[in-house]
Amino acid sequence: MNIVVCIKQVPEISEVKVNPETGTLVREGVASILNPFCEYALDHAVRLKQGAPGTTITAVSMGPPQARAALLRALELGADRGVLISDRRFAGADTWATALTLCAAVRAVQGDFDLILVGKQAIDGDTAQVGPEMAEILGIPQIMYGVQMELSQNGKRIKVKRESESGYQVLEARLPALVSASKGETIRRLPSFADILAARDKPLETVTADNLDLSEEQLGLQGSYTQVVKIFPPQAKKACRRLEGLSSQQAGAEIASFLRNGHFI
Amino acid sequence: MFEIASQAITPAGFEDVARVEGWPVINDQYQAYLRDESKLTSEACDYIFFPRDEAEVAAVVLEMARRGVPLTVAGARTGLSGGSVPLRGALLSLERLNAVEALYYVPHVEEWRVRAQSAVTLRDLNGMVLNKRFPELARGGDQADRAELARFQAAPGDFFYPPDPTEMSASLGGTVATNASGARTYRFGDTRDWVRGIRVILANGEVLDIPRGKYFASANGRFTIFDSQGRGRQVRVPDYAMPRTKSTSGFFAAPHMDLIDLFIGAEGMLGIITTVVVALCPREPKCSVVQFTADDEQALDLVESLRSQDGLPLDFLEFYSQKAIDLLRRRQAEEPAAMGMPPIPAQAGAAVFFEFAFDPLAARPDFSLLSQAVERAGLSLAQSWAGYELREMARFKNFRHLLPETVNHLIAERKRLYPGLHKLGTDLAVPDDKLRPMWNVYQEALDQAGLEWLAFGHVGNNHLHINLLPRDMEDMQRGLELYSRFAAQAVAFGGTVSAEHGIGKLKTKFLPEMYTPAQIAQMKAVKQALDPQGLFNPGNIFLS
Repeated sequence: MNIVVCIKQVPEISEVKVNPETGTLVREGVASILNPFCEYALDHAVRLKQGAPGTTITAVSMGPPQARAALLRALELGADRGVLISDRRFAGADTWATALTLCAAVRAVQGDFDLILVGKQAIDGDTAQVGPEMAEILGIPQIMYGVQMELSQNGKRIKVKRESESGYQVLEARLPALVSASKGETIRRLPSFADILAARDKPLETVTADNLDLSEEQLGLQGSYTQVVKIFPPQAKKACRRLEGLSSQQAGAEIASFLRNGHFI
Repeated sequence: MFEIASQAITPAGFEDVARVEGWPVINDQYQAYLRDESKLTSEACDYIFFPRDEAEVAAVVLEMARRGVPLTVAGARTGLSGGSVPLRGALLSLERLNAVEALYYVPHVEEWRVRAQSAVTLRDLNGMVLNKRFPELARGGDQADRAELARFQAAPGDFFYPPDPTEMSASLGGTVATNASGARTYRFGDTRDWVRGIRVILANGEVLDIPRGKYFASANGRFTIFDSQGRGRQVRVPDYAMPRTKSTSGFFAAPHMDLIDLFIGAEGMLGIITTVVVALCPREPKCSVVQFTADDEQALDLVESLRSQDGLPLDFLEFYSQKAIDLLRRRQAEEPAAMGMPPIPAQAGAAVFFEFAFDPLAARPDFSLLSQAVERAGLSLAQSWAGYELREMARFKNFRHLLPETVNHLIAERKRLYPGLHKLGTDLAVPDDKLRPMWNVYQEALDQAGLEWLAFGHVGNNHLHINLLPRDMEDMQRGLELYSRFAAQAVAFGGTVSAEHGIGKLKTKFLPEMYTPAQIAQMKAVKQALDPQGLFNPGNIFLS
């Protein structure tokens, strides 16, 4: 069985601060990490592989040369092979152009895939669009927000427990299919140091636009239907009210009446 | 040079110093100032002063000396031995002395240094250093400050300040006064190794500016300290030998010692440290590894194997005993998400935790020395957890903290039944060759006594924290007796009664385990020479 896991390198968002003067992201000292949802996808791939020996897991990432670090991480966590899709011509790709490029790369490096796993979204853009777009482009079934996955006995179908707005659903799809992973109960795995060393001996290849069956017009900014016009930090909510010039007794009464009026107490 | 002169500073008006006066209001509204992390609580304190500069510190010192009111000095109150808890008199909180004053390069030693006031915390300092952002210098500094800052920002690579006593909200001054250490002491030494200068307000209200490397004890072991009027006082360096291990028990002493070392780790007994100069260290990317072992014995085998392996510098080397792993496993079963770690492997009996330089993008990293050291202990690196991203290393750090936290939780539960009950945690260290004999003493005595206990800590420095978890007051009593026995044994092995927590007020009874009455008298003579009135920090270090 061949599983492809599409992964993305992202800035460690919990650390990102916005420069109040320029309104831009402060990137100094912010680490780049493998998107946590991609790690969950990879975790599912490894578990599926445990139940289906002989499975090959290929991690694919589209990004700048530095994204190699995210692929190394995927190799440490159990991927057998890494593919970096990197080319200046991909710059400015929106979700559609990204999905198209990823699909072309998957066809080029693992055309006989059985299952594509992706994270439900990347924690930087939060669009959650690339996975579903890939399934559409490839014409395969898709199940989003999976938290548990199981292959059928004959390996022809996948059963997925997925999060829905009201709870969970269990869906089944024939393979090949695309499934996105949500966090669920997953606790991110830790590789052993032996895994970390072994990852450095696993195959990690780079694919450029020249290796893909795509025209120039389908790449990067040119192939994008949408463009980012502006990025800005959200307006801070100023719901705070200060009580000033009151005695502690008056202030206490004021707070109590506010809470009562708002039906908080 | 063994002679040094203090300088007079014009004291500020005593009445201008911010303060709180009177026990009732202090006891009612300033409780936080009456205790530290040891949970020792003050029961008498008439003033809390909040000076904002040296002139105000001097004003308080002179006035309290005049009135004969003793003065306890507090930094961030993160100590574990009650050093900053006032027994009586006044408390002087240095919290407003929190400016970073300078960042500069010293070419002949190729070292970046920071000069900062005492209350700057380790977290703030490391945040500024790691991000290379010093807002105070960028905004308030002069042209030279800004030029030096720009040079630091342009310097290749990252830097950090190595002393890491776990509690990063500790203040720089506090860590210097207590010679704080921690896990990374294994590679980087203790605070003493990184201090390049201090300014100290003496009991006479004058300030002593001591750079490292300038004032050394004379051949007959003396310093002469002159005041601004030319009156000299002799300080005789005690002649005991320091233990062959890290230690925070009593005053540092050595032949030809540097004067600065007398003040570092003196727990505030000799003067008030207002400003420190510390060195920064280049920071390489690291990898943390938790290596699981079958049992405690194999963990100690691994420690010895890693320690004896040349060419394998580890930043720290920590231990989780079998009983500690068992406790963590139980906690994980109850709350898997709180731990945030994968299941502790079923075959794991104990664990050793270490860290080393690791470049994740290196083409072909060679860790054969590490593999060999691990294999010599009959283990494989496949039985480990490893992480090198900052977020992964934070998980490991959290895992380490979870142990004392779980212990505290357990003790809190038992305290409901027995209010007088508390955790007993040792802070003893012994020389390298006594690690195993000391371990055997612990194990035999504790198991024989039928006590519940576990061990963790800085095994690389032979400094284990044995935590006794008494189930009732009888256990508690037996535990206290054993603690004293262990302290005596550690000293007999050439070790120390306090490796990092200090003597403070809680461990004064252990100092005589380590030093003879004559040696303690030598320490007291140093105190007497510098603080004849006994103004500073009464109750610290010496049994009263």
